[in-house]
Amino acid sequence: MTELTKSDAGAGTAQTAAVPAEAEPAIKRITQWGEIRHRFMANRLAVVGLIIVGLLLFAAAFAPLLAPYDPLHQDLANTLASPGGEHLLGTDALGRDQLSRIIYGARIAVIIGLASIFLACLIGVVIGALAGYFGKAIDSVLMRVADVFFAFPLLIGAIVIIIVMGRGVAPVVISLAVFSWPTVSRLLRSSILSVREADYVLAARALGAGTTRIIVRHIIPNSIAAVMAYAAFSVGSAIVAEAALSFLGVGVSPEVAEWGNMLSAGRDFLGVKDYLWVYPSIAIVLTVLGFVFVGDGLRDALDPKLR
Amino acid sequence: MGRYVIRRLGQMIVVLFGATVVLFCTLFILPGDPVGSLGGDKARDPAVVAELRERYGLNDPLPVQYGNFVKNLAQGDLGEDFTQRRPVTEILQPKLVNTAKLAIAAIIIDIVIGVLAGLIAALFRYSFWDVLITLLTTFAVGFPSFVIGMVLQKFFVVDLGLFPLISDGTLNSMILPAFTLAILDAALVARLMRGTMLEVLRADYVKTAVAKGLPRRTVLLKHVMRNSIIPVVTYLGISFGTLLGGALITEAIFNWDGIGLALVQAVQQQNNPIIIGVVTFGVAVFVLLNLIVDLLYAVLDPRIRLA
Amino acid sequence: MRGAKSAKWVVGAIVVALAATACGGGNDNKGSDAKGGGVFRMGITEPTAIDPVNAQESEGMVIARALFTQLYDVSVDGKLIPKLAESGTSADGKTWIFKIKSGTKFTNGEVVDAEAFIRGWTRVAAKASASDVSYHMAGIKGYDALKGGKSDKFAGLSAPDANTLKVELDKADFEFDKKTAHAAFSPVPKVAGAGDNKKFNDAPIGNGAFKMKGSWNHNQSISLVRNDDYGLEKAKLDGVEFKILNPANGSQLEYTGFQSGEFDYARMPTPQLPVAKAKFEPQGEWYSADFSGINYLVVFNQNAPFNNPDARKAISYAIDREAIAKSVFQGMQKPATAFLPPSFSAEYQAGVCSTCVKQDKAKAKEFAAKGGLKPGTVVNFGYNTGAGHEEWVQAVAQQLKDVLGVEVKLDGKPFKEALATQQEKKTSGLWRSAWTADYPTADNFLAPLLSTAGIGEDPATGKAQGDNRSRYSNPKFDELLDQARQEKDAAKRAELYKQAEKLAIDTDQAVVPLWQRTQYRLVNTKKFDGIKMDFFEDPTLAEISLKK
Repeated sequence: MTELTKSDAGAGTAQTAAVPAEAEPAIKRITQWGEIRHRFMANRLAVVGLIIVGLLLFAAAFAPLLAPYDPLHQDLANTLASPGGEHLLGTDALGRDQLSRIIYGARIAVIIGLASIFLACLIGVVIGALAGYFGKAIDSVLMRVADVFFAFPLLIGAIVIIIVMGRGVAPVVISLAVFSWPTVSRLLRSSILSVREADYVLAARALGAGTTRIIVRHIIPNSIAAVMAYAAFSVGSAIVAEAALSFLGVGVSPEVAEWGNMLSAGRDFLGVKDYLWVYPSIAIVLTVLGFVFVGDGLRDALDPKLR
Repeated sequence: MGRYVIRRLGQMIVVLFGATVVLFCTLFILPGDPVGSLGGDKARDPAVVAELRERYGLNDPLPVQYGNFVKNLAQGDLGEDFTQRRPVTEILQPKLVNTAKLAIAAIIIDIVIGVLAGLIAALFRYSFWDVLITLLTTFAVGFPSFVIGMVLQKFFVVDLGLFPLISDGTLNSMILPAFTLAILDAALVARLMRGTMLEVLRADYVKTAVAKGLPRRTVLLKHVMRNSIIPVVTYLGISFGTLLGGALITEAIFNWDGIGLALVQAVQQQNNPIIIGVVTFGVAVFVLLNLIVDLLYAVLDPRIRLA
Repeated sequence: MRGAKSAKWVVGAIVVALAATACGGGNDNKGSDAKGGGVFRMGITEPTAIDPVNAQESEGMVIARALFTQLYDVSVDGKLIPKLAESGTSADGKTWIFKIKSGTKFTNGEVVDAEAFIRGWTRVAAKASASDVSYHMAGIKGYDALKGGKSDKFAGLSAPDANTLKVELDKADFEFDKKTAHAAFSPVPKVAGAGDNKKFNDAPIGNGAFKMKGSWNHNQSISLVRNDDYGLEKAKLDGVEFKILNPANGSQLEYTGFQSGEFDYARMPTPQLPVAKAKFEPQGEWYSADFSGINYLVVFNQNAPFNNPDARKAISYAIDREAIAKSVFQGMQKPATAFLPPSFSAEYQAGVCSTCVKQDKAKAKEFAAKGGLKPGTVVNFGYNTGAGHEEWVQAVAQQLKDVLGVEVKLDGKPFKEALATQQEKKTSGLWRSAWTADYPTADNFLAPLLSTAGIGEDPATGKAQGDNRSRYSNPKFDELLDQARQEKDAAKRAELYKQAEKLAIDTDQAVVPLWQRTQYRLVNTKKFDGIKMDFFEDPTLAEISLKK
């Protein structure tokens, strides 16, 4: 082990790094997935996580049906109403219904969380696969590029990009992805490095399989487990990062019903109208926990040795 | 080993170069004259703008500006801030000390709480304490630092009045921000510690040591601890770098006069010399820490040979 | 203000009746009063500068004005209070003669004479100082040569004798004396050196009621002690402690600090004002005052859809200022019905902006139709972020949508970017803005913000470099300002300014006034007497005394 992957622990999923060194050959995929599902469902926290994530997706999909009010509707005659009565979670400084804003906030969270991680994985998998399989010069160059992006602490890098692109959903997604992909690349690359020499790959090569076929049919499926667990975990992190950006005043526009915005606006009322920041906080915490549980469950299910 | 360090340092310079080029280009394409306005709604006297542009070389083409920046940087000079017209290093130095104080306090909390909790959980596996610690650490991961910070502020400052809201650098005013910064990492360290320790306890060499009849103490300290601590060290090294990102949020919440807060403000004010100064420094520290961690890693784990 | 530079100063004669008596009393008071003592503590954010060479925002001014005494001071309602000036006269408005009180000293023993004033003013206007406040001197002869680096002497300033300062202006200005109350017009000792003398920048030596104790501890604190050799009425306080807070939530910290007894004077976060008022007003610790400022909307006059006065009126009619004041500002802001502030009692005309008085949806729609502001029109509405405007701009945007059916596009930007956008020639729509006066003259509002000269268009880039970013331009308005400046009689002058305001604000609706500038503070009246605020929105430190 001469190359050290500094990313592994940084992602908060330290154990995933070395995952599929001895994963079963891809031939048994169907039964393998069945078993993974079985192991996942046996994990109580993972199931709780799945339920939370399901509810979140449901809220995001059916927000217009679920929300009692238009999240942007201002009622200046009824500002800062305490929770209860017509407004279950109260109203904000512009008289907007908090519950509706939280429900609509799920949309932004889901869109930004999924889109940014999907984008990060896409970039990361491509670059990581190339680097890991070809090694040598290509590996070296690609990994130095990854280093540059990795060297920017996420929030700082994201802020820099948003300064340039302006506030909004797309800039937030892009900025989160641009500084997250190196982790994916490193995960994939390090697991490819170990898979590359695995018996079944050697066997496939001996049987005359081409490079592309080996990468697509054998290496990626067996290395992807680490990436998937990371991705599930990271959706939560991305949602937190996105809320943090809004909290710092550089995320999506302040009029958008988004949890970080609500928190940021509610912060001025700390100790006076605490419900303004407490409810959006709960929404964020539950969401993150949901994804963490799912991520943990997935990791354990994919690699039972680790627990 | 020596050659390895030199190679890594060389890579570090490449990364730093890449990062500052990216940053420079980014700031250059931002709209708005960096010396164009005063703090409020008023524009600056065109004569003053011209004088300052001339003084700070802002009329030079970008490569020339970058060249000057690198030349000055090599002499430890980060230029002058455009508002107060004081050297950036002079402005940042006390802030850096503050951030370092906070980061060190957080790391200490991470080590004490994280390692201890992980140790207890692993040694007394499946006990009440193990379950409690596992649960707490799982939930801690779901709480973003801004939520933790606001909750702590609400209870300990606003309601109980135990700590000052105005951080003045004293130990007392450091406790809440340090905890806010540390909680997530402490939880991750605990989980990491528990995981690796369980693995190590099952390892053959530990079994051998026990079978040899070595005292439990010796086995734990010499074999188990030493081998379990490696991932923790890696993790802490990385997290010291990412603490800068975390400090952004924590310092903003607790009004801690560190470089994180300076960055947030500089971004709002488009104070380019400060932005460049903080980011350059942050990236340098991050990369350097990675190197140190890798070296430490080699020291702790004799199986690793650096080449 | 920047517009003053291009202002046309007028011929006439004025004698400022200077009550030499007002400062005479102070002299007899030397050391006689024993009730002195006490340290007044307050929070500020890190100032840009405390040296008068570049002190600009209220945080820097409060210190600069404590360390330095100028010719005049200004009360909160805009009245001149003579300080070092024994008299200030001008026969034609172009040449001013200031008689300076003799025998006062800087704290290092140097004499404060006419030369000290010339030295100070020259230092501000010098090219190398690159001072942000030098434009206040733009009307003085020789300013451009000095600012442009072609000279190092201020041609318009001279000292016929040690205690006489002669100022020659490019154009007549009968209100020039009011400008000299600004901190930029301070005298400085010889040791001040050039404007970028870092040692003096951080520990200025002045002639004020207070002097520095040590030097500026950046981002931490600034301490002042009483100047016992002060030439005018001495301060009663032993000292003033400024704790420097982070701007991120400075007002929150001040408020909490006041409650925990760390500060004697504090701002409060806007959302907490009602709670604070309920708590502290009964205890007599609540202070409120109206200041010479205005919150308003810049309306880009030269581009569609607002290149038509009727469209601009539609906007003004559509806004329910009262409702927003009551809800978003929780009753802590007063709707404005004029552009000039009530503190300018001679020129103030309540209700001069007839579209501002009350929201009128029918009229708003009627004017929108007349002005071609069709439902569905996209209206850009810009504001600068991170300054607490996020909430109310959303409320205004909603009202415009509801009443006019226009599509409002809110655009928040950090302030440098915001400024760049406002300056561009092609920018259209609305922009949030505010103005506070630098000196108590109507001209200081009307000229920079509404006159053609105030646009200051850069011929090369088309950027509006001045403060009239609405780019309102009406020759009749410019002429009224000219006439006002040529009018030596104060009452008649005020009348002309009133006509000018009515033309720009009521007839042409050049901008949309929103709220007056009201400020609230908590003051520790249990411990101190005489805490008031001055024209520059700072506490009158020299008048505060420990309660007996």
